[in-house]
Amino acid sequence: MVLNSIKSGIRQVLQTKRMIMVFFLTNFFFALLIMLPFRGALSHYIDGSMMGETLGGRLNMDFLYEFILHQGGALPAIKSLILVVPLVYWLMNLFLSGGAFSVFAGGEKYQPVQFWGGAAAYFGRFFRLFLWAIPVFAVLFCLQFLITAGVKIFFGSDPYQNITFWAGWLKVGFRYLSILLFWLVLDYARIYTVIHDERKMRKSIWHGIRLTFGNLAKTFGLAFLLFVVGVIVLIIYNPLANLFSAPNSLVILLLFILQQVYMVFRMVLRLTLYGGQMQLFRQISEQKNSTGDDFQPDTGLEDAQIAT
Amino acid sequence: MKRFHFIFLLFLIFSCTALAQQSTLENRPVLFSQPLSPRIAGYDIRVRLDTEKRLLHGKEILHWRNDSKDVIRDLQFHLYLNAFRNSESTFMKESGGVSRGNKIDKDGWGFSKINSVTLPNGEELIKNMEFIHPDDDNEHDKTVVRIELNKPLPPGKTIDLNIDFTAKLPSPPFARTGAQKEYFFAGQWFPKIGVYQDGGWNCHQFHANSEFFADYGNYNVWITVPNKNIVGATGLEVNVKQNDDGTATHYYHAEDVHDFAWTTSPEFKEFTGEAQGVKIRLLMQPDHAYQAERHLAAAKVALDYFHKWYGTYPFPNLTIVDPRRGAAGSGGMEYPTLITAGTAYGIPKGLRMVEMVIIHEFGHNYWYHLIASNEFEEPWMDEGINSYSESQIIDDYYGPAGSAIDLFGIKMNDLQVHRMRYLTAPDVDKMVETSWGFYSGNSYGTNSYSKPAVVLTTLQNYLGKEKMLQVMHAYFERWKFKHPKTQDFIDVVDQVSGRNLDWYFNQAFFSNAELDYSVDRVSTRKLAEDKGFDYNLSVEKELAGKDSTSDSTAAGSGDLDSTAGASTDSTEESSLYVSRVNIRRLGDFIFPVELQVVFDNGDTLRENWDGKNLWKKYRYVKPAKLVSATVDPDYKIPLDINYTNNSKMVKKPKMGVNKLAIRFLFWMQFLMDQPEFLNLFSGLKRGA
Repeated sequence: MVLNSIKSGIRQVLQTKRMIMVFFLTNFFFALLIMLPFRGALSHYIDGSMMGETLGGRLNMDFLYEFILHQGGALPAIKSLILVVPLVYWLMNLFLSGGAFSVFAGGEKYQPVQFWGGAAAYFGRFFRLFLWAIPVFAVLFCLQFLITAGVKIFFGSDPYQNITFWAGWLKVGFRYLSILLFWLVLDYARIYTVIHDERKMRKSIWHGIRLTFGNLAKTFGLAFLLFVVGVIVLIIYNPLANLFSAPNSLVILLLFILQQVYMVFRMVLRLTLYGGQMQLFRQISEQKNSTGDDFQPDTGLEDAQIAT
Repeated sequence: MKRFHFIFLLFLIFSCTALAQQSTLENRPVLFSQPLSPRIAGYDIRVRLDTEKRLLHGKEILHWRNDSKDVIRDLQFHLYLNAFRNSESTFMKESGGVSRGNKIDKDGWGFSKINSVTLPNGEELIKNMEFIHPDDDNEHDKTVVRIELNKPLPPGKTIDLNIDFTAKLPSPPFARTGAQKEYFFAGQWFPKIGVYQDGGWNCHQFHANSEFFADYGNYNVWITVPNKNIVGATGLEVNVKQNDDGTATHYYHAEDVHDFAWTTSPEFKEFTGEAQGVKIRLLMQPDHAYQAERHLAAAKVALDYFHKWYGTYPFPNLTIVDPRRGAAGSGGMEYPTLITAGTAYGIPKGLRMVEMVIIHEFGHNYWYHLIASNEFEEPWMDEGINSYSESQIIDDYYGPAGSAIDLFGIKMNDLQVHRMRYLTAPDVDKMVETSWGFYSGNSYGTNSYSKPAVVLTTLQNYLGKEKMLQVMHAYFERWKFKHPKTQDFIDVVDQVSGRNLDWYFNQAFFSNAELDYSVDRVSTRKLAEDKGFDYNLSVEKELAGKDSTSDSTAAGSGDLDSTAGASTDSTEESSLYVSRVNIRRLGDFIFPVELQVVFDNGDTLRENWDGKNLWKKYRYVKPAKLVSATVDPDYKIPLDINYTNNSKMVKKPKMGVNKLAIRFLFWMQFLMDQPEFLNLFSGLKRGA
């Protein structure tokens, strides 16, 4: 079921290339909002210095430190942007996800009207959904403290550093897990909202929780597989990007292209996840329907089309 | 009769004392047949550790010789542990109760208390004892005590004092000393006499940033601890005696040292090594034991380099102590023949903190121990010279790139690390200052550690590495087992280099002047024909009423720079370019600099400027366009606070800006898409 869902997700994503570009360009645009002032400050500070050429190769730590130290005026503004822009970007993504789920729920190719209509229709609901999901996240986030408690129970209040070290990494893993589970709940709640045109977000979040944890092996398995693919590609990307270190304009251009290809791939991965989750949601719904579960039996196609 | 009784009693006491001393002396080993040092202050100490109460019960016999030409009427002692007695001590007030990020526990206060002070004849001197505060008049500070002698001590004479004391170690280890559960590190733990110097006592209070200053001598120390404990200490362990009460007494002997520290824990794992004939003993915590080889390797590097570059380490052994978890306050510290390291489980190999700490702390066995400068008054002389040595060794051994950090593609060498710190406060204070006289803790750190490393590296680049090694070797040989001051170091540099470098030291040591040279302007353009009378017009023809004709003289005939020495090329005038380079001195620090000028035909010129004026302009007429100009092209002057303004290109280079910008763009894209990635850094931080 999981692999079928992924296949279905890939199939749907390949039919919606323009949607990939919408997600990618949004990401690019928001990053650009932060990068441009940074580049301005950098250009102003370097001016005609040969450092402008040297930095075409590897990063010069002397320069980096001097830049941070001497470019006092510009950096606070850039820091503020780094705090604000990602928040707005996150809201934008919440907005776009409404469009993506609408398109996938419709089971058709990307239609701008359907995409943007869905985005607009669900943004308010998704935002409320997010607010409802915060307590869920808080609970999941507290999972990591089980490790702290375990260390205290088994190793006392003064454990050796190797215990605290590995426990620390385990906590990092648990934090990832909690974030992943939180997104799963939110994703399935969003799918439920789109499929059933649900307006009560309390109900959606409840169904999101039920579906995620009631079918944990499947829901988590799907997301985890794609997460692993993401990690593998990142591991491949890093040394590849390091190859492009020669101080040459063409090499820099190639590095830029490689970076953007990687980011496009990330968008493909995310939309594959959305598509796969939509498929999985339907399959689970059908399965429960056939076994007489009280879960909503329909695939939601009609509702989704009405909603958009 | 009474008189007879009295004489008999005196005889008896004398005989017993002499016998007792003889029997003790007979068991004492001799490390050096000829004393290496003046041996002014020697100590015999018996100390018993009460592990439950963190108490040290000690009986100390001080043998102190008046090495001055003065008659001494009082003695002054350090009671360092009283710095941790309460919140009102000078140390606590200056530090705000925080040292290297550590704080004393609620019940972790320490103290040092002298119970009695007697002369060998039994005469009690404690009634003559008073706390003094020579540095700041803080009446609550009890880190210095003065004891008036009943009888003045003439020059050349020795006094023996029996001191009974009790000390409590702070917890957790704080400011280099203290206890944490089963781990004890005893530094600055016994009443220690100051240094009589230049007609007075040099015995400063314990300050937040200060370290120590003492005279050389021999130490015999009997340390009684639980018999399951392992002990490490200054000097050599002579024997261990098992006691009936479940304790063991470890006897340590050290010669020609000026301090004595020891540590004990039942948990230590012991490793050994050897370099330059010196036996290395490593006491590791069980959770760090897997890093033993890494520690030993760093110690060997340190011993090899110091031996090769500066001089012989005369002692037969070196003990390295790895502090317990939660006891980092005792880490990264130097004592004679004993140093403390600093590591954490999981620290990556590319982060050479372990190596840096060991090489640095071992270096102090030269620049603090063998060369016993006054750490209170001139902290740069131990920390600064040592930071310079550390960076030279680390950068030489581990490679000039990434010697300190070589992690995730980030490479930094040790000198870069010091230069970065120096840049945080290049002009807040002058470098030569008392340890408590700096504006802030950061200024102390910058001026005592990092700026001297940068200043001495700049000096090395100016003199040449070979000459600098000769300087350092001569300084070591001339001043070992003595108390040099800043001027003594300067004198050695001047003498060995054969130059008077006062101009440099006055700026680098005794002023807060910043060094910053920049290329302010570069330009290049085709040489225009000279116009007007005497060039394309003729006065004679004008006066004669004849037509003006173009009778120009060769362009470039006036090509010599009016401001500075310039070069000329005898190429055809039509292809000549006039290029200009303006360089400026932005700081007050005057230093001779090199200028490199590059032309598009590959020609590269080097100019020397004494840097005395505020600016200098260069003009070149060549059959090539100017490409770039760079001040200090070989990065010989790390004291320069801004490398970026050291160069300028005629055509603004955009490549570096674009590269950094796209890298930044990508990271923003990635982190915005996956902010949870930041979570990973908490794990990496733990690993680091």
